Amino acid sequence: MTARTTRLDDGVRSALRTLSATAKKGFGDPVLAELVQIRASQLNHCAFCLDLHLAIARGQGVDERRLDLLDAWEEAGDVFDERERAALALTEAVTVLTEGFVPDEVYEEAARHFGDTELAHLVALITVINSWNRLMAGRRIPPGSTEW
Amino acid sequence: MTTNTETNTEATTKYAPEPTPRLDWAALAPDVYKAMIRLDTAARRGLDPALHELVQIRASQINHCAFCLDMHTKDALAAGESVERIVQLSAWEESPHFYTEKELAALKLTEAVTVLTDGFVPDEVYEEAARHFEEAELAQLLATITVINAWNRFGVTCRRTPGHYRPGQHT
Repeated sequence: MTARTTRLDDGVRSALRTLSATAKKGFGDPVLAELVQIRASQLNHCAFCLDLHLAIARGQGVDERRLDLLDAWEEAGDVFDERERAALALTEAVTVLTEGFVPDEVYEEAARHFGDTELAHLVALITVINSWNRLMAGRRIPPGSTEW
Repeated sequence: MTTNTETNTEATTKYAPEPTPRLDWAALAPDVYKAMIRLDTAARRGLDPALHELVQIRASQINHCAFCLDMHTKDALAAGESVERIVQLSAWEESPHFYTEKELAALKLTEAVTVLTDGFVPDEVYEEAARHFEEAELAQLLATITVINAWNRFGVTCRRTPGHYRPGQHT
């Protein structure tokens, strides 16, 4: 499989990288950041992003069982704690925007677990991975590709 | 008589209260906001301004972002866009004669890239866009669709309320 195009404006690429870096830094939980980015990439079917973020999570030492069960986190019992579950529920609501809005109960549950600044950066993180998903899947960049 | 009735109706109509925003994300994450502005500026470079607004309005409709709709419909009108083309945008498949073939290809791509959770970006949609846009311009179109999707996510999640935007405020 070849990419449809690898063209991307340098300014766009650089601003997106800054956006990712600032969102991650402000959120401050690198493992949960990867779980969020993997879950959004699953929903958006972005092979390149899934491949990349699963590799990063494995590199962080995240238990393989947690990665396997991420797609069914709601049914996975205590494999994910309450804080992680709140972040994953918010990830899904913010990613699947076309079906409605972000429900109050989902937002409020996230607000119970994260402070305002942390929450703003979590929303940013979900938004940024959604952006990468669109650019990578839209241009059909193959997983593992170094040219994008 | 008609005038009196209209005046009375306006004076007595009571609208529902305005929702309260959830989170002032731009103030809480200023570096993120700065990067978003930089991204927005980079993504629109080289795109036709009228097309740029149409794409932003259509994505905001699909994502139900009231704040972004308020902003981009006002900016489009201020830039001389017709009411008809803005109103017909949510039914563009049935009103193709209001748009150029190039705009229609861009609107199709906008929908496919916005509703990513239902599948992938179909080859025919991408190829149709590639017929109308040369490679660099297509990359900017894709970036623009991506960026308005990002603003929509901030707008909806943080419940930024519509109605207060003045045309050109952010340009």
